[in-house]
Amino acid sequence: MITFTLSHLISSDPIVAWLGRAASIHPELAAAYAKRFHLHDPLYVQFYYYLAGLLQGDLGYSVYKGEPVSQAIAQTLPYTLQIAVFSIVLTLVIGIPLGVLAAQYHRKPADFSIRAFYLAGISSPAFLLCLFLLLVFTYTFHVLPSGGALSPDVLSPPNVTGFVVIDSLIAGDWTTFGDALAHLIMPSLALALGVFGYVTRVLRASILDVLRTNYIRTARAKGLAENSVFFKHALRNAMIPVVTLASLLTAWLVTGTLFAETIFTYPGVGQYAVQALSSLDYPSILAITLVFALIIVFANLVADILYAVVDPEIRL
Amino acid sequence: MNKSNNARVHQLVELLTFNNETKLGFVLVAGIIIAAIIVAIGKTSVVPYNPIEQNTGPALAQPSLEHLFGTDITGRDVFSRVLYATPNDIMVSFVVVGVSFAFGALMGVVAGYRGGMLDEVLMRSTDVIFAIPALVLAISIAVILGPGLVNMMYALLIIWWPPYARLARGEALRVSHFNYVEAAKASGLRTGTILRRHVLPNILSPMVAYATIDMGSVVIIYAGLSYLGLSIRPPAPEWGAMVSAYQDFLVSAPWLPLFPALVIGIVVVAFSLLGDGIRDAVEASRIG
Repeated sequence: MITFTLSHLISSDPIVAWLGRAASIHPELAAAYAKRFHLHDPLYVQFYYYLAGLLQGDLGYSVYKGEPVSQAIAQTLPYTLQIAVFSIVLTLVIGIPLGVLAAQYHRKPADFSIRAFYLAGISSPAFLLCLFLLLVFTYTFHVLPSGGALSPDVLSPPNVTGFVVIDSLIAGDWTTFGDALAHLIMPSLALALGVFGYVTRVLRASILDVLRTNYIRTARAKGLAENSVFFKHALRNAMIPVVTLASLLTAWLVTGTLFAETIFTYPGVGQYAVQALSSLDYPSILAITLVFALIIVFANLVADILYAVVDPEIRL
Repeated sequence: MNKSNNARVHQLVELLTFNNETKLGFVLVAGIIIAAIIVAIGKTSVVPYNPIEQNTGPALAQPSLEHLFGTDITGRDVFSRVLYATPNDIMVSFVVVGVSFAFGALMGVVAGYRGGMLDEVLMRSTDVIFAIPALVLAISIAVILGPGLVNMMYALLIIWWPPYARLARGEALRVSHFNYVEAAKASGLRTGTILRRHVLPNILSPMVAYATIDMGSVVIIYAGLSYLGLSIRPPAPEWGAMVSAYQDFLVSAPWLPLFPALVIGIVVVAFSLLGDGIRDAVEASRIG
């Protein structure tokens, strides 16, 4: 509903944007487009068509891509999900150990340097991290490719799931797999560097809180080894607040893909969104906003389930 | 009167010098704001070169004393351009955070204190705005309104106030059960007066802490929007737009896109340091 209202408030004439000068030269062409996309019908009629289509899984037709929006999304979404999953993994891989370290070396130099590191990450706009990584890994050390999802000389694997990484594994093609991974690292790392700080900060604070509780004192009094107290008793409970971050992290990652995919020319939804924006492709903008919102709703669901896993007090 | 003013100044000084990081944040933020004001008043006379004048030096000159951040392909001085864009970015943050703060506080306090239907409607409508990532929603709105500084601020305002309303509501709920509010109610004060005199002043500090950190978030998202070309039109300098215009020179002149991007980062760090410090101080004073 929101997405529909928003995109139809746009004052520019979509026909002019789609057809360019052809619209004024061939009025019958413009009329045909208008008829096909119900542009001259009142808004509530357009909304009816939109809703009816939505319920049938029809998201409209993207004039910019020259194919149905659902098809364009189906093609681009796997790439974005690849980046999202990979960067969540990286976020946790970087964020959790640093959080643990910062808590163990509380108020020592290690704690302060970790704090400076994540503050720099959180405070950097997504495009700064992307450009920085590009400069270091591609242009200075020449170890990673500058963009795209696969190198031009690597054959793309037979399409099974749409996820290049998984498809190449299914095909048993290790060269393609390695290449796909190499193309995936930088965009994912750029996004992870921007958010791992939230994980580190929350985990550090919550470990410090947990370590002050009575059951930790009990565990220590029982004569358990400090490591066992820390990892078995403290860390598990300290992870609970980290789960709360799921929605925030997902929102950040989703918006980050707009920049990361554009800079690394990665053919995902983010790049598609930026292209759709500049060509006033409403059905696409609408569908992408919807997809992003669905991803966030899904992330919240996963977070709720995770709560039950981490926190024995919560039963689903 | 004088005494209470002195006490307030003392409290403020204590707040701003809570720890070393807060001090650093305060100094940086103060510096940025002063620079923004000076540039806003002095315009082109206070920056080393005219920000839109071409050929102030050789094209793509490396950073030097003459051109601190180097020059771009048309020989414009990048440092002057970055400096010249400061008032603009800072103003956007102040306006967006300020208006969201005021509007959110008003909505949240009334909703939290009154509860009922109004509360329900407010919270559900903020849920909807929360469900869509801020940048995506801002982009959609900005596309509708058309590019430009004022439209951009409208777009940001529409999505920015809900967290403030949430925060104010939660705080108002907490405060409304305190004895002094009950006492005010019992003494027959009108709701408006209770809210203004007793509820609002007591929920301000956590909101100020949040708002300070939030200034940085606005800077980041505004930079993102202008990076995507939805803000001021060139050649007027703008940080995000400069990064996007200069990123093609990443190989030949990496300082071109990196300096404006770093400046954005530093501004954000400054506001988060100060905001974190204020938050810690507020929490410390609560625990007492």
